[in-house]
Amino acid sequence: MKAAVVGGGAVGARAARQLLGADGIELLLVDDALPGQAEAVAASLGSPCVARSWSASDLDAGDVVVLAMPGDHLARARAALARGVHVVSVSDAVDDVEALLDLDGEARAAGASVVAGAGFAPGLTCLLARHAAAGFDAVDEVHVAKAGTGGPACARQHHRALTDEALDWRDGEWRRTRGGSGRQLCWFPDPLGALDCYRGGLPDPLLLVRAFPGATRVSARMAASRRDRLSARLPMLRRPHPEGLLGAARVEVRGRRGPVTGVQVLGVLDRPAIAAGILAGVCAEWAAGGRLARTGAGGLAELVPEPVPFLHDLAWRGVRAAAFEGEEAVASRL
Amino acid sequence: MVKTLRRPLLLALCGAGLVVGFLRLKGGERPAVHGGWRELSGPDLR
Repeated sequence: MKAAVVGGGAVGARAARQLLGADGIELLLVDDALPGQAEAVAASLGSPCVARSWSASDLDAGDVVVLAMPGDHLARARAALARGVHVVSVSDAVDDVEALLDLDGEARAAGASVVAGAGFAPGLTCLLARHAAAGFDAVDEVHVAKAGTGGPACARQHHRALTDEALDWRDGEWRRTRGGSGRQLCWFPDPLGALDCYRGGLPDPLLLVRAFPGATRVSARMAASRRDRLSARLPMLRRPHPEGLLGAARVEVRGRRGPVTGVQVLGVLDRPAIAAGILAGVCAEWAAGGRLARTGAGGLAELVPEPVPFLHDLAWRGVRAAAFEGEEAVASRL
Repeated sequence: MVKTLRRPLLLALCGAGLVVGFLRLKGGERPAVHGGWRELSGPDLR
């Protein structure tokens, strides 16, 4: 198997490190627009990782490319599909995700997969939603919240998202609402705890509605402080952290099992850049190994046939999910 | 001079206080949470 990682930043470098350990990897290309960045990543990883400007002709059908750079993912995904190469995109921009999902027909015809939103949120959130949904016969609602950002490109996207139009799925139709509205207090795994979360330009609902067509409500929110909201329409006041700090994601799934309705809350606490890189690497391995549910474009909630082995692979690499339990369950563990 | 500047200075100070207060406001007390997080491992991932 040959693989390429486009974007050698906080997420791309982690994805490349994961792919280096993949079974049967013969060549791993790393490409980055920043001079010297790809060379630094390749030097730290060693053979068979090579720094080179990526073109689709470097890979053959069945190989995989991970898109982890800021900017347009569609053109590179199209170029990869033309050669039957699987695409894993970590973009959390609504435009990118919409454009990649539109490649479904093209990807099926090419016999390749396009995994859209294979990062922290969306990505891990889609996987957790699929896992939580396994406990129900029918899913009625999925609500996602995230806190924290990965590298600088992710932080800039997060900053933009707070003022972008938000997409909510309600009663079978999309509702567009103002970013920064709809404050909700969400409990993330400790030590983050309770944070105020708001609607924003987040692509999670686009991916989740396809995976849970029977759901009547799907929403996504992001944690923001009052200062974030006040300064959201201004340029970023501070330079983003190069690696990002601690973050978390939380997925609440409401559904029915027989006549009983219930709720399952899953979460994850990690540095988003690290978790996203690991997830993208595992996802690329699964795509190249033919372990995804089908070819075509979709999110992880659609394309991962069985979430438990995927979560097991992530846990083995240090990304561990958690379940929120009521006080009776907590008391019984003491 | 001091008398002339007293009013704008006071206004600026009040304005700065309001902005800082708004930014630092925590939104009141959080309600208590009844439960806790348990890491998925072993039997959960089989």
